Amino acid sequence: MTEMSVSAPADRSIAGERPRRPHEERAAWGLVGPAATLIGLILVVPLIVVVALSLTDYQLGAKAWRFVGFANYADLAGDPVFWRSIANTALYAVAVVAGSTGLGLAVALALQGSGALAPVWRTIFFLPVMASLVAMAIVWEFMLHPTFGLVNAVLGLVGVAPMNWLQNGATALPALAVIGVWQQFGFAMVLFLAGLSGIPTSLYDAAEMDGAPSAWARFRLVTWPLLAPVTLFVVVISTIRSFQVFDTVHALTKGGPNKVTEVLLYTMYAEGFEFFRTGRAAAIAVVFVAAMLVVTLTKVLLVEKRIHAR
Amino acid sequence: MTRTFSLSALTLGLALVAGPALAEPQTEIVVQYPYGDVFNETHKRIAEAFAAKHPKIKVTFRAPYKDYEDATQRILREAVTGTGPDVTFQALNRVRALADKQVAAPLDDFIAAEKSFEADGFHKAMFDAGSIGGKVYGVPFAVSLPIAYFNLDLVKAAGGDPAALPTTWDGVLALATKIEGVRPGVHGMAAEWSISGNWLFQALVFDDGGTMMDAGETRVAFDGEAGRKAIGTFARMVSETKTPNISGNDMRAAFAAGQVGMLLTTTAYVNALTKQIGDRFVMKTSPFPGLTPGVSRLPAGGNVMMITTTDPAKRKAAWEMVKFWTGAEGGAIMVRNTGYMAPNKKAADRLADFYAKNPNQFTAVAQLAYLTNWYAFPGDNGLKITDVIKDRLQSVMDGSRAAEADAVLTDMARDVQALLPAKN
Repeated sequence: MTEMSVSAPADRSIAGERPRRPHEERAAWGLVGPAATLIGLILVVPLIVVVALSLTDYQLGAKAWRFVGFANYADLAGDPVFWRSIANTALYAVAVVAGSTGLGLAVALALQGSGALAPVWRTIFFLPVMASLVAMAIVWEFMLHPTFGLVNAVLGLVGVAPMNWLQNGATALPALAVIGVWQQFGFAMVLFLAGLSGIPTSLYDAAEMDGAPSAWARFRLVTWPLLAPVTLFVVVISTIRSFQVFDTVHALTKGGPNKVTEVLLYTMYAEGFEFFRTGRAAAIAVVFVAAMLVVTLTKVLLVEKRIHAR
Repeated sequence: MTRTFSLSALTLGLALVAGPALAEPQTEIVVQYPYGDVFNETHKRIAEAFAAKHPKIKVTFRAPYKDYEDATQRILREAVTGTGPDVTFQALNRVRALADKQVAAPLDDFIAAEKSFEADGFHKAMFDAGSIGGKVYGVPFAVSLPIAYFNLDLVKAAGGDPAALPTTWDGVLALATKIEGVRPGVHGMAAEWSISGNWLFQALVFDDGGTMMDAGETRVAFDGEAGRKAIGTFARMVSETKTPNISGNDMRAAFAAGQVGMLLTTTAYVNALTKQIGDRFVMKTSPFPGLTPGVSRLPAGGNVMMITTTDPAKRKAAWEMVKFWTGAEGGAIMVRNTGYMAPNKKAADRLADFYAKNPNQFTAVAQLAYLTNWYAFPGDNGLKITDVIKDRLQSVMDGSRAAEADAVLTDMARDVQALLPAKN
């Protein structure tokens, strides 16, 4: 995407300076052709189909459908489950983004310069990122099991009464958020480690000489500002990933109990593949894509602003 | 004669294209069914018995559907792409969705052409279970009904009489209240209310003679007296017996571990629970509480066999399969390998010794007289409605609205009514 947006204006400026020769034109189309075709087939056409479907009452397997205009969107606007789903997704995203960014940064700082064992720890913390989330969800299901789960057993040692984490309306979403943080913080950690290694040690020396003796002051004055681009990247990526939460919800709670863990992608799945209301599911997909677009554009704008400020 | 010729010509042509795998002049019927862990052995054995009698028909199984939801999803997706199997096994409450979308064609012509159907153990109630709008779209293969499972050790410990288990709701709830806490961590009862969203709720409504919708299928009817009693019974389970708010899987695990006095769920688990319990305690099945002859009915769970192919020759071969699978021999094999019942009357004749040895399996057979349709709501929102009912029931079962069950029922009726088709 970025490459295209960079090359497009460049082409235009060349075309403005001198007329393009025919063989150049052909070569350009030939070079762009395969990628453009693939993007069209894989991204653009399905997107158009989804938008078109969202304007119909199509049901999975149905032989006929009708154009219903924006009725699906109007229904969504008046559907408490949909709003619940948006609120839950936002709550989940806030918790997981804050948790995984904070924990990722903390672990990265702790690992930085921790010696020979650092690569071992780094690998261990990165493992959840590589593991299949569905498989891990099943492991978590056993850990959170109300009667023989490890979590209740450990809490029992300190006198906490056993809880049914995933069936309790107050704990189900937080439990999923904890799993989300556990799964994502390793990714943030790796990015922060890369960012930390890019900070010149001379800056810390300078800070110390300038009267910033405490570690906290050095962090606040040097590390944190220089990590800002990495942090922005981590926040945006984990926001997008949090909005995509589905595996754990489908494997552990199915949106229950009573919709407290209903998230956007799960609602879309349930509408499309459980209730077979494909038109409505398509409308949710459009809303979802629009939300993702807003997040991505915000990131682009922020990055550009920062570049211009320099 | 001409048909046989053209068929073999077609098969030959296919064989030339597809290579040696299809070299024999057989009609191949591709079959897909749900719940492999429950049904693999059953279908394998029936297919062997079938192959011995019908060598011209080759039965090929696809990898099983994960569950009923998966089965319906896949058959609908494949209907769009034209890649579906020839015969599919689907949940009894999904017949409506598939018939509405014309995925399966009616079987009435085949049934009318059969001369000795009554003598072979087929009967009207059996076809009713797979009928929509007066047409038969599927023939039930494995049928389940809700029943009660008792832990007799806990019944005794609470001062109950294992030889005279309660059969009324008052009796059941009173016994469960006594069992609650008879030992630390022991619960009086658990009811697997969440099965398919509303199956057990339907059972309770039908139990009291109620219906889900009125006769014309335009207005909800479960907010009447029977529904009020049904949701009231659920609320009493919470308030009187302190039934735990856990998932169906956990209920069964807890029952098998000897921590639950009574479990209300489908007959499908009789085999599995018997094996899990082993010698830990004595388990006895008992009729669903509150059954009144002439008033009560119970929704049939389980699956039906539907023909999805449109090729006339394949349809004919598939019908032979349907007759065999849902007939006496197929039914008997299925019963011996699962906890389900065979709806075919002649299947029971072959199972006298089996039921004598497994009285826990016979409980549900004795309930067959109460069998009725597992109700599916009409219209495009039919499946969404079951989800709405499930959520409303959840608010009673988790205790948050157990004290105002009537208000929950009113809300439920209003929500469901709003999702019904606006016709008429």
